[in-house]
Amino acid sequence: MDNKITLTKGFQYVTFAMMAVGIVIIAYGFVADPTRAWANFLLNNYMFLSIAIGASFFIALQYISQSGWSAMFKRVPEAMMSYIPYAGILMLLLFFGMHSLYHWTHEDALATDPIIRHKSPYLNIPFFFIRMVIFFIAWVYMTRLIRNASLNEDKIGGRLFFEKSELYSKIFIFILAITFSFATFDWIMSIDVHWFSTLFSLKNFVAAFFHGTATVVLVVIMLHERGYYKELNKSHLLDFSRYIFMLSIVWGYFAFSQFMLIWYGNIPEETEYFAHRWNGGFKVVFYVNFFINWFLPFVLLLPQVLNKNIQVVKAVVILLIAGQYLDLYDQIFPGVMHHPVFGIIEIGFFVGFTGLFLLIFAKALTAAKLIPENHPYLDESLHHHLH
Amino acid sequence: MNKNHIIGVFDDEDTLMAALIEAKGKGFKIGEVYTPYPVHEVIEAMGHKTRFTLAAFIYGFLGAAGVLAFMYYTAVIDWPVNYGGKPTNAFPSFIVVTIVITILTVTLASLFTFSWRAKIYPGKAYILPDVRSTDDKFVLIFDKSELAKGEGNIESILRSKGAVEVYEKELEPQI
Repeated sequence: MDNKITLTKGFQYVTFAMMAVGIVIIAYGFVADPTRAWANFLLNNYMFLSIAIGASFFIALQYISQSGWSAMFKRVPEAMMSYIPYAGILMLLLFFGMHSLYHWTHEDALATDPIIRHKSPYLNIPFFFIRMVIFFIAWVYMTRLIRNASLNEDKIGGRLFFEKSELYSKIFIFILAITFSFATFDWIMSIDVHWFSTLFSLKNFVAAFFHGTATVVLVVIMLHERGYYKELNKSHLLDFSRYIFMLSIVWGYFAFSQFMLIWYGNIPEETEYFAHRWNGGFKVVFYVNFFINWFLPFVLLLPQVLNKNIQVVKAVVILLIAGQYLDLYDQIFPGVMHHPVFGIIEIGFFVGFTGLFLLIFAKALTAAKLIPENHPYLDESLHHHLH
Repeated sequence: MNKNHIIGVFDDEDTLMAALIEAKGKGFKIGEVYTPYPVHEVIEAMGHKTRFTLAAFIYGFLGAAGVLAFMYYTAVIDWPVNYGGKPTNAFPSFIVVTIVITILTVTLASLFTFSWRAKIYPGKAYILPDVRSTDDKFVLIFDKSELAKGEGNIESILRSKGAVEVYEKELEPQI
């Protein structure tokens, strides 16, 4: 099999069809129910952005820890990073949906609500977009640096590019820790403007890393099934499933910590957030969220019989992508829609955004060699063996 | 003095592994292997399989269930007290204690299991066939009484695979 994938016309037509279906339903959504449409828009764009951010963090971590086993898969997270600039452009469109999503943009709320007035030096529309632009410039710039170093390594070789990537990665995770925290505060947490949680950003950052990694694993397994990545063996699979297993515990830890502290503290302005998610239809979402994102990966990836089985790992990572949707649904929809809705609009938005993400991702993946050349740890990765 | 063991001393991991695989292939029973640092291949080559992870899982499961049952019994059944309007079965707040005590249970129970299976206890007299195995040498040990099962001469096999020294010795515990 060739070391380069060709982007088939068929695949492109499928993504175009998905986008076309998406655009029709998105247009219908904005006419029929703009508030619901904006909630979906934010959810889907943030979801694919978080997957891209999680993938970029995954690759940065591999460089910093100088991991050998993952070297041959690095093109997959690299290609995922290419969605970040598109997500940035789409995120700027939120300008037209601010009033539908964010209560703090309403003039009358600002005039009568002391809490919103107190937060207004930070939460105001100009500063909101200034921050957004800064975040995206930082992310796009840093991911470009990492990507270009990786492409140049293919052409020129030598250890220089690996050392450069390691340095970029160190700077990148530092920037990401700050910017992504504020991004989640701005875009997601400020929907429930009266509520605040300092664990919120950490939980969402871990969720991004968790589900970004899950998507990387899914893509690697699917490519393996289609004849690429022939070198993928049980040891790689075990490392991948350990990664997912570990992240499911970390996700569960942060999600539960946030909930437990608020539940235990029992202060009205904090419990209001969860009271809303525990009454009505959202209660199901709350429990299923923990079930999919923590319990299932924990139980399924614990025994060695299952966590080296490619079909089990594949099923778990597909579930986890649904889990990320559910997690964000639980964070966005109660604040915007007040009652659970799911229908053609939600499906249409998801299909449309998936088509866009797949097209951008596939273009980036086919632009470079699937297995990098000249990476210092490539041999170790190709012959990875765990005892 | 009854020299009942054959000791092969090796300079590095590769020669040790070659000799180990060769001797095992010829049907010799390997008594013990001493290395200056852990060598995973040795465990694989000796065909040992551990069920330690299963034991640890069972300890963890029993630990978690036990702690939850204990807290439920004390807080709900035996002595229910109203803390700040919480239900007496304050399940989310039990979780943290459960995690911590489960880890403690698994750690201690695993330690004791390992000590029991490996017959290690404080103050035990140790057996050190060749003092250099704590330094930089790799040591293979064969029990002379079981040498008959293998084919060929064990001493020449070890030497042909790169042993720097082969000698006979009686192993006795040292204080």
